[in-house]
Amino acid sequence: MDDVEQRLTDCFLAVFPDLDRNAVSAASSQTLPAWDSVAGVTLLAVVEEEFGIAMEGDDLAALNSFDGILSYLRQSPAFTGGGPGF
Amino acid sequence: MKLVDALRTVKAMQQREGSALRCGVASGFNPLHLKAFLAAELSEVFAAQRIEVSDGLYGDLAGNIERLESGDFDYGFVPIEWPDLDPRLGLRSTARWSGNELADILVTAKARTLRIQEALDRASRNLTLAVSLPTLPLPPAACTPRWQAGSFQLGLRAIVQSLGCSVSQSGRLRVLNSEWLDLESPLRDRHDPESELLAGFPYRLSHAAALAASFRRLVERRSPKKGLITDLDETLWKGILGEDGVHGVSWDLEHRSQAHAFYQRFLGALAGEGVLIAVASRNDPALVQQALGRDDLAVDPDRIFPVEANWKDKSGSVERILQVWNIGADAVVFVDDNPRELAEVKAVFPAIECVQFPPGDTAAVCDMILDLRDRFGKSAVMEEDAIRLTSIRSSNLLAESKSMAAGGLTPEDLGAEIVCDFSKPGADARPLELVNKTNQFNLNGRRYTDAEWSRLLSAPDSFLLTASYRDKFGPLGKVAVLAGVAEGRRLTIHTWVMSCRAFARHIEYRCMAELLARFDPAEVAFDYANTERNGPLRDFLTEILGEFPSPGYSAVRGNLRLPAEIVATPQETVYG
Repeated sequence: MDDVEQRLTDCFLAVFPDLDRNAVSAASSQTLPAWDSVAGVTLLAVVEEEFGIAMEGDDLAALNSFDGILSYLRQSPAFTGGGPGF
Repeated sequence: MKLVDALRTVKAMQQREGSALRCGVASGFNPLHLKAFLAAELSEVFAAQRIEVSDGLYGDLAGNIERLESGDFDYGFVPIEWPDLDPRLGLRSTARWSGNELADILVTAKARTLRIQEALDRASRNLTLAVSLPTLPLPPAACTPRWQAGSFQLGLRAIVQSLGCSVSQSGRLRVLNSEWLDLESPLRDRHDPESELLAGFPYRLSHAAALAASFRRLVERRSPKKGLITDLDETLWKGILGEDGVHGVSWDLEHRSQAHAFYQRFLGALAGEGVLIAVASRNDPALVQQALGRDDLAVDPDRIFPVEANWKDKSGSVERILQVWNIGADAVVFVDDNPRELAEVKAVFPAIECVQFPPGDTAAVCDMILDLRDRFGKSAVMEEDAIRLTSIRSSNLLAESKSMAAGGLTPEDLGAEIVCDFSKPGADARPLELVNKTNQFNLNGRRYTDAEWSRLLSAPDSFLLTASYRDKFGPLGKVAVLAGVAEGRRLTIHTWVMSCRAFARHIEYRCMAELLARFDPAEVAFDYANTERNGPLRDFLTEILGEFPSPGYSAVRGNLRLPAEIVATPQETVYG
């Protein structure tokens, strides 16, 4: 688990405190009953704050799982910055 | 505070086993993350309780405030924003912005503000409310560029300022100072348009965090400092009295010493609010008396008491002042320009707050005074604040008279008059203030929120006794409060406090006698708890009970020892 994945896991655990750390990577709005609209908005706000980025409105629909958000972060210009990326 | 930290704090706080503190956020927007920040902030203030924060309906600010009134809340938080005055001022609206529309917005805003004001007035009768006036920038609906204020913007701001001015006069309603929020949260970093459209939450996280922290300050139970002891040379004035002479010390523009006048004026303002002001100076007492008698002094010298001028250690002077004031060192600030003097006093009185006066640095003096304002700040000045110094002077006269009278002074000698008032005045904040700040003569140290106090007094068979006192030395105002329940022939006293200014006047005996006369109980139960500082109450109970009190102590009426000669003080009783 790299640094981005670790930090994203911590974001999930802050918003879904009852979630087992080992189950975070499989979390999605489909599998997690606690992931309602309020939790979804809160999660994205925590992720934006943690990574210092602003997620675009058009992308939000795809950000409904741990994998989806992780992929978004890895492709974010804030992280790739024209450099080698992760 | 970051949102992730707030969420973690909230999670940890939910494990607490204490009672719940119920808070309502009444807003026209979705308060989303503001609730998390608020819960986290309040969890630090109310460290033993679980904080429950709930909200209302989107777009219905006035209705949500009205629901606060009917709900079982301890605190209400009301962040007002422009769309609450008229939805056309919000980003989510599609209404047109024409000249006629703007005029109509002003009309609507006035009408809505009136309803908001009425709802706030009603809700604040039973609970403490913290209110913020619009914190976000106005939308660019009017014709003026951003650097020019037009009649539309000024008209809207006048409406909300009028609202704030009106509701701030209620003791239970606290309006956030926009200047404070400006320092904590820059205007350009407040609005999050994306979040407003997506989730109905218009704040950036940093602004929500700053607003929650400010709300916390508004409801935090603080203990404002009660007394300020000041040095004279290079502090109250510029110069050394012993070297420069009575007319050589200065506090004016001509001698570039105006900062000292600013300090003097501030001390005068504090004194007017009931803060005790004294002098501790290593100086010639005769010269000090002359200098304090100068008619250009910017603080009334009669407001300064006592004046300790001598050549001994400052700590000795401070000790005598504390004795005269009869308050603890932790309630006092000592201001001196000399770090050695500050250290000497601090070594003897570790609890005292020592502040170094920065002579010759006007900006630093202004900062120091702003800091002092916060340490002494309170929501309102009460009648008892205005007579505090008078009553301390009279206490000293009383002590001197007693020491001169061989057999002690009786209430008749003093011309003592006690008024025992059994009414439950909702608007009088003094009884609760006394309950929440008294330490020494306090039955159990319990503090109440406005909502808890209202619930206690509205319970069936509850009673409230507020005792006021005056004698030939002057009035002390409302000095004692007892509250409890009289069920059948059993009287339970939940709260009993008396100001330390009222000690040695036998008021506590009269209060007890009055309760017995009014309710004729067969048994009296005391909701007693031992605290670090309630020795005077414990000593009194031990005397009238004939034994050391234990928690929840009950006494059969016949076993209460109230000396007849003491309870004979002339008094008036008001029945509510």
